[in-house]
Amino acid sequence: MKLAVVVQRYGLAINGGAELHARYIAERLSRHAEVEVLTSCAADYVTWRNELQPGVEQVNGVTVRRFHVKHERDPLVFGQRSDRVFGSAHSIGEELDWLDSEGPTSPELVAYIERHASAFDYVLFFSYRYYHAYHGARAAGTRAILVPTAERDDAVGLSIFQPLFRGVRALMYNSPEERTMIQAVSGNHDVPGVVVGVGSDVPSQTKPARFREKHDVRGQFAVYVGRIDQNKGCTELFEFFQQYLREPQGRMSLVLIGHTLLPIPAHPRIRHLGFLDDADKFDAIAAADLLIMPSYFESLSMVALEAWALGRPVLANSRCDVLKGQCIRSNAGLYYENAAEFVDTLKAIEQNRWLTATLGRNGRQFFREHYEWPVIERKYLEMFARLSKEPAPRAVDALPGWMERRRQDLPAARDVVRKLPAGWSRS
Amino acid sequence: MPDFNVRADSVNVEQIMEQIRARIRDKRGVDYTEEQIRELAAVKLEKFLDPRSIRSDLLDQFRKAQPPAAPVSVPLYPFEDTTLFDSHRGIVRFFRRLFRPLVKLFFNSNALTQSLHQQTIINRQSVDRLDAVETSVRQRGDLYYELLHNLVLELTRATIEVKNMSMRVESIASRLEFTERRLRALESVVVYKPAEPEREARAASPAPVPSPQRASGGFAPRENQRNAQQAPTPRPPSPAPVPPASAVPAAATPTAADGPSSGDAPAGVPAEGPGQRSRRRRRRRGRRGGASAVSLMTTPGPGAGSPAPGTAASADQTHASASDAADSDEPDEGDDAAEPFEQALSPEPTERRGEMPQSTPTPTLTPTVTPPPTVTPTPTQAETPAAEPRPASDTHHDNDQ
Repeated sequence: MKLAVVVQRYGLAINGGAELHARYIAERLSRHAEVEVLTSCAADYVTWRNELQPGVEQVNGVTVRRFHVKHERDPLVFGQRSDRVFGSAHSIGEELDWLDSEGPTSPELVAYIERHASAFDYVLFFSYRYYHAYHGARAAGTRAILVPTAERDDAVGLSIFQPLFRGVRALMYNSPEERTMIQAVSGNHDVPGVVVGVGSDVPSQTKPARFREKHDVRGQFAVYVGRIDQNKGCTELFEFFQQYLREPQGRMSLVLIGHTLLPIPAHPRIRHLGFLDDADKFDAIAAADLLIMPSYFESLSMVALEAWALGRPVLANSRCDVLKGQCIRSNAGLYYENAAEFVDTLKAIEQNRWLTATLGRNGRQFFREHYEWPVIERKYLEMFARLSKEPAPRAVDALPGWMERRRQDLPAARDVVRKLPAGWSRS
Repeated sequence: MPDFNVRADSVNVEQIMEQIRARIRDKRGVDYTEEQIRELAAVKLEKFLDPRSIRSDLLDQFRKAQPPAAPVSVPLYPFEDTTLFDSHRGIVRFFRRLFRPLVKLFFNSNALTQSLHQQTIINRQSVDRLDAVETSVRQRGDLYYELLHNLVLELTRATIEVKNMSMRVESIASRLEFTERRLRALESVVVYKPAEPEREARAASPAPVPSPQRASGGFAPRENQRNAQQAPTPRPPSPAPVPPASAVPAAATPTAADGPSSGDAPAGVPAEGPGQRSRRRRRRRGRRGGASAVSLMTTPGPGAGSPAPGTAASADQTHASASDAADSDEPDEGDDAAEPFEQALSPEPTERRGEMPQSTPTPTLTPTVTPPPTVTPTPTQAETPAAEPRPASDTHHDNDQ
């Protein structure tokens, strides 16, 4: 079996959620099939500047083929087009323009897929919202399998993606909430799909004491791992945690790991350690009492899964349906909606050792049952086997004509998303 | 966690969250919905929106500080059908009129005249409207200023109120803490015993009949009470005659100032440990409806017109009655009673307790008779006299002493 994995960026130094997800899957599937990764030369997801060399290279034993990005992203144009398609009635042509301005625009990549699609059994596209997935899936025809990594943001309400969701051969969802949302927006109930997610290379043994000693971290602490950004809910996290610090009983500290785009509050019990390597990261999670996930939008929180794998409970933002659903399904995390709930849940975990241990134990069990690599690999292989037995029903719908693309009759994407069913899914 | 109730072997996250939310609701008192909050805010604002009821000097200053309204300086000019051909010079005006039909051959001046005429009307209307808008804006500015001013006032008042409340909370908390400490100290100390002269005086006075309150107090065993009312009935022989209280040498009688008497069990009565005492105390409190130790300590003597001191009835007194009685004409007992209280608050209660064995712990409970052999010597029964009615003062030991 020969597989292609198509993703917007790829590399050992690239730690974006979907990119890491794609790398893990490519490396794991390479044990069962011949895998080739098709990606861009970009390393930065904001500019899509060509920073890596085009051509073929090996990354962890997987062949990676890179293609030039035609143009960098112009933030001004992208912002204007985003406002237009998300906020007001617009046309398909404007959505396509938005996609082009979002990037990474790589016609070479799409042309390669078109030419060589027949050489692969299946082509796995990661992240539905980018140029490579939209145009690449059309080029791959009935071999396209989509790993949407969709969040509940405005982009999912754009009409150009609905034929994509309906036309690919199969979808590998990250969570039941994501599946519900995509089925609601596109009506693709008949397209084969399975909730898979992704595993993680969690070390079997961690050294929490080493982390504490190295970074001089003492006492109980909660850890946040990820980009420290307003979009990730970190502003709210700081606000809520400072409220917790005002509680006389609150003794926990907050340790932040990751690059920051925000000013960190100056408080002796809020520590920012910057970007850490994987070993330090896992040691930090193991040393922590809990992991906090303040993000509003997630299709799957890998770091939450890693915390569960290490037997640590998670405190998540309940406005993110996926995180809330994961916490409830796993019985391994609490969630908050406002500052009062944040403070009380944190205190509950801090003061109740038994609760912490039980949540951690449940998390470990949840990870073992659903996100261990053998489970993930089996789900992918079962899907390939299933698709090989079923005839391909249809490819992605063709693009509408010139006139059709200019008709201003599409509703604002934001309105479409607002009407989608919300809430977590039990299964 | 103190108020977090999860006891199952496996947790249910939804259930835990429900508990946490319920606790937050309890803490807040009332959980207002967004609509309710908006409604409340609207009600507040309605009060402010009546500027007649608000007077403010700052408003005048605000008005003074505002720049004076500049008049609209748009030149308004009339434009009629003759304006185009008009002139202040007669000859020019004549020639223009003369050639007017000729000029009209080259272009339609009527259209120009009409549009310019319309424009003058529009200009006038715009100026009027601008004036009205400006006046309205100024009036609204005043209103907004009033609103802000009063919001600031309200906020200040609320802040002061919050500070007052927090101070009150602090004060109550410290008082509570003090009371708890006092209670704990009192529980660990011996309560008042009458001084020797008093006891002698009481022994000399005729034995009063036990009051019905005492009898119905449920404090002493009924059998003993019956025996007491049937006096003088033959008493069972005492195996070890104990001298009456009056016969006890004064030096051997611990006064209240002697502090606790952990080892001062009467002869014939099994000695009790501190654990037994505290248990007994708790049982009594339960029966009496939780009379505080302070009320027991401040109960006045019989002369105060209250029930017998130290009896169950006296212990039944509420804190209020006890404090009333403290104002009575018998200051001696009240003063004495205050002593153990001071001791209880003294920084070295344990040392005082340690002194007790050295200061001749003569039994002051003075049961002149031993308890009937049939009665199980529970702590309460053991210290209750079984035979003749005694002066109420003799039952003082019922207050755990």
